[in-house]
Parts: sequence; C-alpha cells; structure tokens
Amino acid sequence: MNSLDLNALLIIFIVALGTYSLRVSGLLLSSKFVKEEGDLKLFLDYLPSTLLLALVVPSILKEGVIGLIAAFLIFLCMYKTKSILLSLIVGVFTIAIYRNFFI
Amino acid sequence: MKNDFKDGFMANLPIGISVFTYGSVLGVLSSQKGVELFELVLMNIFIFAGSSQFVLVQMWDNTLDIIAMITAALLINLRYFLVGASLNPLFKQSSKKEKLKYMHFATDESWAITMQRLKTQEISPKFLLGGGVCIFATWFIGTVLGYNLGEFISNPKIFGLDFAFVAIFFALALSMYKGSSDILPWIITSLIAIISSYYIEGNFYIVIAAILGSYSAVILHKRKSHE
Repeated sequence: MNSLDLNALLIIFIVALGTYSLRVSGLLLSSKFVKEEGDLKLFLDYLPSTLLLALVVPSILKEGVIGLIAAFLIFLCMYKTKSILLSLIVGVFTIAIYRNFFI
Repeated sequence: MKNDFKDGFMANLPIGISVFTYGSVLGVLSSQKGVELFELVLMNIFIFAGSSQFVLVQMWDNTLDIIAMITAALLINLRYFLVGASLNPLFKQSSKKEKLKYMHFATDESWAITMQRLKTQEISPKFLLGGGVCIFATWFIGTVLGYNLGEFISNPKIFGLDFAFVAIFFALALSMYKGSSDILPWIITSLIAIISSYYIEGNFYIVIAAILGSYSAVILHKRKSHE
C-alpha cells in the first residue's frame, strides 16, 4: 500500500478536528447558558451518571448471567466499601474466573 | 497548594492498566490491517478517543470509505459534547484559553474519575489534565508496543480485561448516588439504553439514553416540587 495515503490523513484530520470541536463546544456552550439553578443545571448534574449507565448497562447484559452477577457484586462492594478500585477488581475477577473455569 | 496534576495522574493509574492492554490490542489490529505506524501515532495524538480509533481501524481497507469512516467515528464521539457540558463546574474559574488547552485530555476515563472526585473535593482543571496525560501515556505506549510486538497479549479476554471498563464505569456511576431521587431516572436511563442499543446500530444509543435519562430527572423533579 502507498505509505503516504492522503485519504487516510484526511480522515484522521477531520475526525480529530470534529472530536476536539465536540469536546470544546460542549463546555463553552454550557458555561454560556447554564445558570446556578434551573432545569438545565439539573439536567447537566445528571449527565455524568446517566452517560456512564448508558455506556455500561447494555455491555453488562451482553455478558449474560455472569455479567449480571458481576454487576451485582460490584454494587455490593460499592455499597459496603465505597472503593472503586476494589469494585473494579471484584468485577474483573468474577468474569475472569468464569471464562477460565466455566466455559 | 496541593498538586492536582499529580493527584489526577495517580487516580487514573489503575484504569490506565486496562487502557494499556486495550491500546496494545488496537496496536495489533492496526498492524494486521495495514495501518502505518505514523498513522496510528497521529490518531493517538490528535483524535485520542479509544472507541472511535477502534472503529476507524476496523473499517481500514485498501480503499478507504471516507464519508462512512468519518461519520461512524464522529457519531461515537458525539458523547464528548455531553462530557464537555458536564465539566462546566470544574472550569468555573478558568479562562477560555485554559478550557481550550485542557479539553483535549477529557477521555471517558479521566472525565469519569474527575467527576467523581469533584463531588467530595475541591479540584482544579489540572486534575483532569493529569488524568488525561496518564491515560494518554498508557494508551500511547500500549498501542505502539502492540503494533511492534504483535500478539504479546494474545487474548486479553481470558483475564476479563475487556470487562474492566464496564466494571469501573459502573462503579463510578454508583459512586455518584446522591439519594433516592436518583433511582427512577437511573432505571429509566438503563431501560432506554437497553432498548435503543437493540434497535440502533453503532454507539448512538449512548447519547440518546443519556439525554432522555437526564431529561426524565428534570421532569420528575418538577412533578415532585409541584406536589
């Protein structure tokens, strides 16, 4: 393949520009329009948690029953210890054991 | 003055290990797909958004479908608009220049850990930058090693490492729990995510579920204060 592929560079350039614009415009627009109180503030307060849940919930289900078990153990671990690192280890360990010994 | 940059860097190290392994997988894939090393490096530096890089590499071919690749990658990264919007409290005291400088380092990982820390502690945007640099470094080293060494981590799935992202993001979401008024919006978000991920191809469901879920919280809150 031609090592200096202009189409590849074009794609990388536009995706990079678009991604940076998305990152910056979200922040700049919100600082312009968000007041201390109000619907928009509440909406943005919820965004981190809803965004994270939207990212992970379908992936948990895709793992099947063991995904649900791992998620439940993470929930328990967070409830008892509030340690994210420990919860991470519990979740990964559960999946690793299942894949090594039960499949 | 405490060192927010270092704190952010250290707080991201555990997830950085996962980022490293997944970077190495992308590196292996890239060499198989005929992506040049400098192209991979350009993506790492200027795009710096893992899942969209995976999609670009997967779509890599002898003839590149420019429009389809750009659209797919940007649709996946659409959520960074919401990520940026939610970082507003962190940048309250910042100049526009500082915002423009730091936002490139907002990734899923550094952002999530920053938002979580922001709940309990007064931190500056340097925390986000430190975390972003940590993820940047582990991602960069991982991809380049994977590209050169081939399959030195041949099957990260055996170690459950693909689940590390799910586990940490789920734990981070749970750590943001503020009270029982969160439960219903969270259930609504999850249901919408499940249903829309089933019907919508790609990752656009993430944006839809997050927007509708947050909007449901606003509606529920209004209804409550009217009672």
